[in-house]
Amino acid sequence: MYHRVIAIMVAHTIGDIITGDIADPEVVTSSSPYVGGLLDSLTGSIGISGISARPRPIAAPVAASTTSGASAVGTAATDGSRNSSRPIDKDVLRTFISNSMPFGTPVDLNFSNISAIKVNGFSSSDLPPTELKQPAWKPYLYKGKQRMLFMIHETINAAMYDRDEIPDYISISGQVNCRADLEGLPDVSLPLNGMKNMSMEILSFHHCVQVSEHGDDKRAIMFSPPLGNFVLMHYQALCGPDPPVKGFYQLSMVSEDEGAFLFKLQLMEGFRAPFSMDFCTVTMPFPRRRVASFDGNPSIGTVSMTEHSVEWKIVTSGRGISGKSIEATFPGTIKFHPRAIQRGLSMPRSVSINVVEEDSDVEQDAYNNTANTEENFLEKMNKELEPVDLEEPFCWQAYNYAKVSFKILGGTLSGMSIDPKSVSIYPALKAPVELSMQASSGDYILWNTLGRCPSAISPKVQ
Amino acid sequence: MEKQQPMKQQTLPSLSPSEWESIFDDFGSGSASRRARWLHLPLIDLALHAFLRRDFLSHLKPLLLLFIDDFLASRSDAPPASDALPPLFDALRSLFSSSPSAPSAADPSTAALRDQFMATAVSAAVSTIDAPLDRASAALLDPLAEVLLAVANRPNHGPDRQSRAAACDCLRELELSFPCLLADATGHLWALAQAERTHAAQSYLLLLAAVIRDLVLRPGLLSSPSSILSTVVPLVPFNAPSCLFSDPATDRDREPSDVNLREIKRVLAFLWERPQVLTPAATMELVSILTSIAGALEQHVPTVGALLKVQFSGLIYSYHPILCHVVLMLYSGFPDAFSGEDERNIARRLALLAREAHQPLVFRLLALHWLLGSPRLGKGKHSLASLAPGFYPAVFDPLTLKAKKLDALACIAVSLDDLEMKKKGEEEGRRKLIMKLFQDGLVCISAYKWLPPWSSETSIAFRTLHKFLIGVAPHRDDCLEEFGLGSLVDSTIFSTLQSMLVNFALQHRGLVPVIATFVDRLLGCKAHQTLGEQLLQKLDENLLPKLGMDHQLTSYFPIFERIAENDTIPPRGLLELLSRHIVSLTEKHGPDFGLTLWSQGTKVLGICRLMLKHHYSSRVFLPLSRLLAFICQFFPDLEVRDSARIYLRMLVCVPGKKLRQVLYLGEQPSVASPSSHPGSLFQVSSPHHPEDLKKSGGVSSYIYFERVVPLLVKHSWSLALLKSNVEENVQTSNAIGITDIIISPSRESDREGEINFERISSTMEPLRVTDSKVAEILGVLRKHFSCIPDYRHMPAIKIIIPCRLRFDSEPFKRDWEDDSSTFDSKEVDALPAMYAATITFSSTSKYGSIPPCRVPFLLGEPLGNRYDIVPVGSSFEEDSNHCASVIMELEPQEPMPGLVDVTIKANAENGQIISGKLQSIAVGIEDMFLKAAVPPDVKEYEVPEYYYDLFRALWEACGNSANTGRETFPLSGGKGAAAIHGTRSVKLLEVLLDSLIKNVEKYLASYIVSVIGDELVSIVRNNGIIKDVIWENDPEDFDHGVNALVPYSGNIPLQLPYFGDEGHTDNLLPISKRALGTFLILIFLPPRFHLLFQMEVGHSSTLVRIRTDHWPCLAYIDEYLESLFFT
Repeated sequence: MYHRVIAIMVAHTIGDIITGDIADPEVVTSSSPYVGGLLDSLTGSIGISGISARPRPIAAPVAASTTSGASAVGTAATDGSRNSSRPIDKDVLRTFISNSMPFGTPVDLNFSNISAIKVNGFSSSDLPPTELKQPAWKPYLYKGKQRMLFMIHETINAAMYDRDEIPDYISISGQVNCRADLEGLPDVSLPLNGMKNMSMEILSFHHCVQVSEHGDDKRAIMFSPPLGNFVLMHYQALCGPDPPVKGFYQLSMVSEDEGAFLFKLQLMEGFRAPFSMDFCTVTMPFPRRRVASFDGNPSIGTVSMTEHSVEWKIVTSGRGISGKSIEATFPGTIKFHPRAIQRGLSMPRSVSINVVEEDSDVEQDAYNNTANTEENFLEKMNKELEPVDLEEPFCWQAYNYAKVSFKILGGTLSGMSIDPKSVSIYPALKAPVELSMQASSGDYILWNTLGRCPSAISPKVQ
Repeated sequence: MEKQQPMKQQTLPSLSPSEWESIFDDFGSGSASRRARWLHLPLIDLALHAFLRRDFLSHLKPLLLLFIDDFLASRSDAPPASDALPPLFDALRSLFSSSPSAPSAADPSTAALRDQFMATAVSAAVSTIDAPLDRASAALLDPLAEVLLAVANRPNHGPDRQSRAAACDCLRELELSFPCLLADATGHLWALAQAERTHAAQSYLLLLAAVIRDLVLRPGLLSSPSSILSTVVPLVPFNAPSCLFSDPATDRDREPSDVNLREIKRVLAFLWERPQVLTPAATMELVSILTSIAGALEQHVPTVGALLKVQFSGLIYSYHPILCHVVLMLYSGFPDAFSGEDERNIARRLALLAREAHQPLVFRLLALHWLLGSPRLGKGKHSLASLAPGFYPAVFDPLTLKAKKLDALACIAVSLDDLEMKKKGEEEGRRKLIMKLFQDGLVCISAYKWLPPWSSETSIAFRTLHKFLIGVAPHRDDCLEEFGLGSLVDSTIFSTLQSMLVNFALQHRGLVPVIATFVDRLLGCKAHQTLGEQLLQKLDENLLPKLGMDHQLTSYFPIFERIAENDTIPPRGLLELLSRHIVSLTEKHGPDFGLTLWSQGTKVLGICRLMLKHHYSSRVFLPLSRLLAFICQFFPDLEVRDSARIYLRMLVCVPGKKLRQVLYLGEQPSVASPSSHPGSLFQVSSPHHPEDLKKSGGVSSYIYFERVVPLLVKHSWSLALLKSNVEENVQTSNAIGITDIIISPSRESDREGEINFERISSTMEPLRVTDSKVAEILGVLRKHFSCIPDYRHMPAIKIIIPCRLRFDSEPFKRDWEDDSSTFDSKEVDALPAMYAATITFSSTSKYGSIPPCRVPFLLGEPLGNRYDIVPVGSSFEEDSNHCASVIMELEPQEPMPGLVDVTIKANAENGQIISGKLQSIAVGIEDMFLKAAVPPDVKEYEVPEYYYDLFRALWEACGNSANTGRETFPLSGGKGAAAIHGTRSVKLLEVLLDSLIKNVEKYLASYIVSVIGDELVSIVRNNGIIKDVIWENDPEDFDHGVNALVPYSGNIPLQLPYFGDEGHTDNLLPISKRALGTFLILIFLPPRFHLLFQMEVGHSSTLVRIRTDHWPCLAYIDEYLESLFFT
């Protein structure tokens, strides 16, 4: 039976393998900064002769080194040793395909399980469980020091308008990553706190989770954890408390090549300890202009410039702020290189040329009317915009905006939380439960208050 | 096997790793010839031998297996199953029989290789043995199944659990290909699946499920009184069950026995016990198996669907898309098992899935497709409407997702706008709701209003408008017309959209072209044409009055065009607007507005033309004639005034129907034959478009049919004057063609002519005119015309256009020679050939019937040929095999250029019939040039004299008079006669003497009748190209002589002019002092016309006086002369 969804899934998995995008979900704890995935839990705990077990997880650099902030939720961990995005070789791909779908229909698409079996095999010391059946996605049972780690990771997308007529849009998408180093095949039961006082919109779970019929009162889940790191659940929440970065960005073009801008930001207002902001950077991208120079001093932080952007580092990694709020302003001016005449060059399609021709009579008028230079100038710029890819949310280049990147440790913005004490394991085991939380920015955009901005109506979900 | 091994080593050659690598390459290349190099070797044996060798490179071993797999799958090369499979299975057995305690057996890579070997063996078996099995092939399979079962039959054995899982997967594949193969082992498999506790349990489970499904689906098996789960038959040795070979049809109607139903239920309960322990992909597989079991058992176990639902519907909360799909599979398989609440849950979950930011875009889209595509979920009005807030696009949603979400909103709006809902009242609230959905949804792509019209946002916005609009009456195959149109026009969306588009157009001029396209899209669809018209009407009513009179009005012309084209819209409004526009243009124009004025005026006239074309003249007459009159009087631009005048003339003079046909300028394909379109006055044969032909995949991209002598005038057009117009249009009544002067005895007015004609033909004497010179002229003309065949009664004069046919080998081969016939692969450079090619011609121009040509055999051109440098002017090799010369014979009934369409039909070497259109051949006016026929009684030495006299006579007859009065000249054949209606023209060629003479000698030499003037004569005589003409040294002589001739005039008979009458001498101006001399050139144009040049040659310029009795040719002659002398 051929199913489209299977085909897409296979394509997706293979694509990930080819690009080296296969990464275990990140789990960070206080004791060891990064805890490795399946192979580490195998090799670190089960001493199988004949396998060159890698040393215990290297003290990998803290995941904060990924400052892009725009990376997708699940793949935030791009640190050194294990998740190098080196394309995988053919042999590995071939092995994966012949193991995951020996006759064309996939039976298992879990790359790390398949490669673990390929590398480790099974020894006679791998005893099957005595009573329960071992799930197919858990080929190995854990042996060693028992513990449970949870990490809640949230990504905040925001469109900040600072306008009366358009409300700011903030959405939080989060995931609970989990690692259960537990012997045997225990069931874990976990109440989800903080659900009642927030509008949790979407919940979806790992397939090991047993979800009975959903009720509002029933917010506990039961699962039999797989080996290694996994994403226990994804969730999405519309609005949390105050956003961690508030304020406005204004850019006004004085002439075609010169503009004045002003930032006024409030960071971490209303966030008390243990919240701490690890870093915060504001970038003004100008993809269609070449920045010649800028002038102005921020009240805090440092500013640097590249060919097509200006970057303002307000809080730098290592000097994070904790338990206090900061006000940051940055007035300044920016000059661009004169625009190269690229009419025709950037006119890829005959349609556009026709339109321009069509308008040739009209443009005389536009030039005569010099009352609103900026409008005219924008108009002209927009005429050269090419249609964007449909995977983009809109034509980014048509707007002026500043993008904020940050990372906040010590809590979640949605209020999502897990109480380690209420995690129960059956059959009863003694295992410490640890929890860590962090929030980072996704598309966190300050739209130019004086310009156009894309928006959408977000109705209250019933 | 172990014993055979050393023996084989002796007999078999052993291949080195590098040889194997080249085998892999050759087989991977897909080229038959490369594979063929190795086929003489016993490849399977060699591969197995290499595989079993310890010292063989381990990284090549998996490739060996893949090779075996591929090799056996290609049936053409592979040895038969009976040869290939036994050694393969023996090798497999030997792999597994080696002691499991050996250290290598536990090595994961060895184990992985062994597992892959199993898969290869199964795959080889499946691809070489056909289902259904007969006893012989079943016997082949037995050892394989036995090995696999033996591997699987070690429950909970630790180290080899992955191998056991693999063995189960292999057995499942065998069962899938040969259903019921494992029927006898069901009891054992059931026990194994229950016992297994490692992660391999999943494979046991799936195997059991697959076997059970085949049992259930095969009629009769369940009806046996003994349990299907019995373990009486031992697992090994394995023998294919006998039920495989019996005809299942005999047992079709037997009911399953109770004991077996009970057993099946037990197994099912076991299978769906804990869906969580399976991987998502396996869950999918299991559920699809369970679905078919449940479907087959539905009448015996009716609750099974509901039970499945209970077990699996929780998976909808997983974030894994495959698991969501599993639930949907169940839902579509057992819709009755899902209650309204379940359906709502599924719908809600799918809507949420689309919003999950962490999901890849494709799954978010898929969820919406699922939701909208499901017949019950999507149409369940209430359930979707309550989900509406979930479909609002978010600001950072990708555009595709936004588009799809907007579709969902449109779907909801439509369900609200439905007729049933209307009856319930609450009209206001409902309307508001729909509008809210619509407008709120559009906000997320609001940038479309100011981004350029080609932006993605614009496309999505207008796509959404369309979706919202046609939602109520979507396209249906069955009933295109009428259904729902009324409700559509009444719908809330439509009324909103109308005003919305008006506002768009007013506020955002950039959107006008997009709106026009949007309207076109509606108009182009049968079901929604009325909607488009309504929209246009709305635009006409509401947009037009609001438009300001400035230069920006031009941006709205795309909409105006649509309005003008649509005859359901009263043209008055638009015409008034245009009038105001023209007035304001006329009043306000500044000094620098020249070009703008021209362009705007032309655009307005374009709309007027559309009006003329699409509306009844009576309807547009008044306003349009006013507008045009105003333009032609007051508009500042001259050309616009001119054109307006022409349009006004047409509007006033040409009857409406004709006018509309006349105005289809170049818009009708010239394929239509003239007779079927008697009204089309002008046919513009556009120059051919080779790219169009190529696009249509025609053979013309590599089969070339072309003229040997290219035309001088490259872009040719033709003016076709058709008979039926003649009666109606005074302007064209002197269009000529023999037809219009048929002498019919019944007509009173021609009686005299008839008599004359008879007498003329008998006596060859002039009648009414006694002047000797005139008589002489008439005599010459009569003599000449009597040599011209009347094409209506006898074969016409033919013109011949030599052409050649050739074709490119490479693309021809690609198209017409299949790769399978590769016997010629040794001779790669063999050229393809075409046999029995028939080339047929057709033309819309009046060329009579053109006989087809045949080319018996033609070789393709080798590739190199085309790039060879061929010396200019080298003669064309007629007998070349690569190029066939073909003569195209036309019998023109009117001398005018045109296109001849060429089609070819031929056989390719493999018998395929090649047919297709080739590039059309352009026929130019110069092809029509012929020498006048010489009457048989004129002696050879008299010919120049004859031509000279003829020239003079014709020159005179085509003089300043419009016709030759009643003078007619009988044609050969005796039934028809011709009259001469002469026309004159002048062309000044600013060419230097040398080049003029060179060109005349090259192209016109044979038509020269006389060369006059000392200097010219001496130059031309020295060149020696022009021969057999009258050389006159004294220009005065000719001048005098010609002047002495009597010109014809309008309606009076030929008469003698007063000598030296000034008014008539200007028809032949004395040659200027600078002139060196004169060429007299006489060209005969078939079927019976003439073209006369008198070239007064000067040093730097030449004046050509042209006379002809076929005025339409003047236009082409002008072009011809230009091309002749200026290029």
